[in-house]
Amino acid sequence: MGEVTWIEVVARHREHALRQRVDAASLTLGRAWDNDIVLDDPHVAAHHLRIERDEAGAWTAHDLGSVNGLHVEGERGRREQVALAPHVTLQVGQCLVRLHRGDEEVAPEVPLQRRSPWPAALVLVALVVLAALLEQWRGETGEPKLIRYVTGALALATVLALWTAAWALVSRLFGGHARFGAHLLVAAAGVLAYSLYDPLCELVAFALSWPRLALYAWAGAWIALAATCFSHLRVVSAKRLRLKAIVVGALATLAIATQSFTIADRNANWGQAVVLQRLAPPWLRLATQRTPDAFFDGAASLKARLDEARSEEPAGDDAASMSLD
Amino acid sequence: MDPAFTRRWPALLLLATLAGSASAQTEPVPARPAAPAASAAGEATVSAAAERVYASARPSLLQIRTLVAAAGRQSSIGSGFLVGADGLAVTNYHVVSQFALEPTTYRLEFKRPDGGEGALELLAIDIANDLAVVRLDGTDLPHLAFDPRALEGELPRGERAYAMGNPLDLGFTIVEGTWNGLVERSYNERVHFTGAINPGMSGGPAVDASGRVVGVNVAKRLDGELVSFLVPARKAAALVERARSGPPIGIAAVRDEIDRQLLEWQAGFYGALIAKGWRTTAFGPYLAPESEAPWFNCWAQTNAEKSPKPRAQVDGSTCSTPSALFVAEDIQSGSAQFSHAYVRSSELDSFQFATFVSLLPIYRSAGFTGAWQRKRLTRPECEERFVAASPASPALHAIWCARAYRDFADIYDVALTLVTQDRDREALVSRLVVQGIAYDNALTLGRRFLEGVAWAK
Repeated sequence: MGEVTWIEVVARHREHALRQRVDAASLTLGRAWDNDIVLDDPHVAAHHLRIERDEAGAWTAHDLGSVNGLHVEGERGRREQVALAPHVTLQVGQCLVRLHRGDEEVAPEVPLQRRSPWPAALVLVALVVLAALLEQWRGETGEPKLIRYVTGALALATVLALWTAAWALVSRLFGGHARFGAHLLVAAAGVLAYSLYDPLCELVAFALSWPRLALYAWAGAWIALAATCFSHLRVVSAKRLRLKAIVVGALATLAIATQSFTIADRNANWGQAVVLQRLAPPWLRLATQRTPDAFFDGAASLKARLDEARSEEPAGDDAASMSLD
Repeated sequence: MDPAFTRRWPALLLLATLAGSASAQTEPVPARPAAPAASAAGEATVSAAAERVYASARPSLLQIRTLVAAAGRQSSIGSGFLVGADGLAVTNYHVVSQFALEPTTYRLEFKRPDGGEGALELLAIDIANDLAVVRLDGTDLPHLAFDPRALEGELPRGERAYAMGNPLDLGFTIVEGTWNGLVERSYNERVHFTGAINPGMSGGPAVDASGRVVGVNVAKRLDGELVSFLVPARKAAALVERARSGPPIGIAAVRDEIDRQLLEWQAGFYGALIAKGWRTTAFGPYLAPESEAPWFNCWAQTNAEKSPKPRAQVDGSTCSTPSALFVAEDIQSGSAQFSHAYVRSSELDSFQFATFVSLLPIYRSAGFTGAWQRKRLTRPECEERFVAASPASPALHAIWCARAYRDFADIYDVALTLVTQDRDREALVSRLVVQGIAYDNALTLGRRFLEGVAWAK
């Protein structure tokens, strides 16, 4: 019979412990040294199971009287014997045991990634640093000092490197490869997106005379962070993308919700008005100029809102703020 | 904080003492015995006059105490004085304000120099002049009379006057001082009294050498020495008249009465401000509006001499009314202020210049109309637009922020901030803040202010 059979043992953390071609019709597995295959797992009996091939070529596993018994992965309950078909994985102690047949289909060959992520990553890092320097320049109202720009750029590059290194470590642990370059590309793209987004929001808020944008713009920062983390996870491994997207999305939603409550609370406590925090050059104005009539009509319309707010009870516990001074 | 700050914002201390601050006093240092030989004859007569005044006025003095009803302990103290044999007495509104606004939490009592105590009834208040008339039970009570000269008009500047009261709960005292006439540039009439009046003396009388009332102790400046203020006697006499002729205010109606008085006051003050109109002052290529009304103290600021040399030059002026209305412990109202800052730079680029302007205090306070108390005020609502008033004036970035007083209908605080938008590296920032104003008046004033920003031709 020319049929080829392989036995594969996978240890607890899913790394391959053993792959061996099987030529005999029967094998025993256990911790003792007189087995055909020795499993190095304290939860495995000295002689734990035997697998046998019948005349038709079908394999069956038999429990040899272990404490922890024989289980099929994904099914409940202990089994005395298990018929081994492709894709049936045995749980033996904490090891996983399965058989493969020679004619089993394997995943198609993945072409090698010839394109290195490094050139793109380095260009993006340069852009990130440039954007940060420009932003610092935009806010420079005092004497410009070169050293502040140098330390700023170095600090940013360091943070980016540490962030990337952390993801590379995660990648090495769970994906097998560090993929530092790919993670750097993702991180730099994320930071660049945010460092363009933030000033853009400020400029748009000014150009359109829309100060309320600042009330919502911070949500974009969380979305950028979530997208970056999702891309990192995809670099780590392309499996279970839907689950990763759901987890990252849920965390981002939670963060946004928490921050909206914090902001609402702060507004209630400090009575801050929503006005533009930062002006921009006049040539960026896009909103149409109003006549004084229209402007003061708008101002007059606030009266109704204020009168409505007047009758509402002030939120929160004012009693707690009582002080004897 | 730059020294101009204290000049621009005179810190007024109202002279009622809260429980906490009264207990914070330090142990008195024993005075060294005075040199016995130095008592000249002149000093002896002055001292004799003060002794006589004190002896005659003392039975008419009151200490007015606000007690926390539940605890029965005093939470603030002030002074007062009897003006009628029937038990009518005058004090400051701010001495009785806790009780007036929260009559279920506080109660009002008096204590006389002879130790007599009892409850007080609130008869009338005058917010604009910080006065209140109260009554205690009794007949044939000793009382003080108003000085006819003070009722008619003015005492001569330099005349000696004696302020009395119970400072810091230390006992009834008399303080000699000098009458210095009405405070200049104050819409609310106040007498400048040069003498040490201290917390706890609020509402006490200031009398002349014959013991007749010329004013009521009300406040002092924290940034000066012996700069104290009295409410003119005729305001007190008028309120006493009103209390005698009319029905008592009724404690439940106090808020409505305050509201009515605030509205009346703002109609008078802001109406006069509108009527006085605006003149323009040149700031570089711009004209900025300044009120013609005489009730503002103005100060100029510049950063020209700062070191290192700033990369943008700022020249500004701030004009504010010297006094405010006391409404409650946590709201002052009735002050007005306008300020301008002319900024230009040849070193900054247009983005940096815009950032520089955003960081100026005059712009940073755009959303701010004064200290905020959630219990008293609504959150501000703002309208922010680009406005073009006329071909003769620059485009403006205009921010209007307003908030309402929760307790008082149709009273608001409003701030209008304007930034010119015609040049990249040159701008005029103008700001108008009006507190305790009716919305219509604020709109009228704001509009005049906005239309006052123009190009100098």
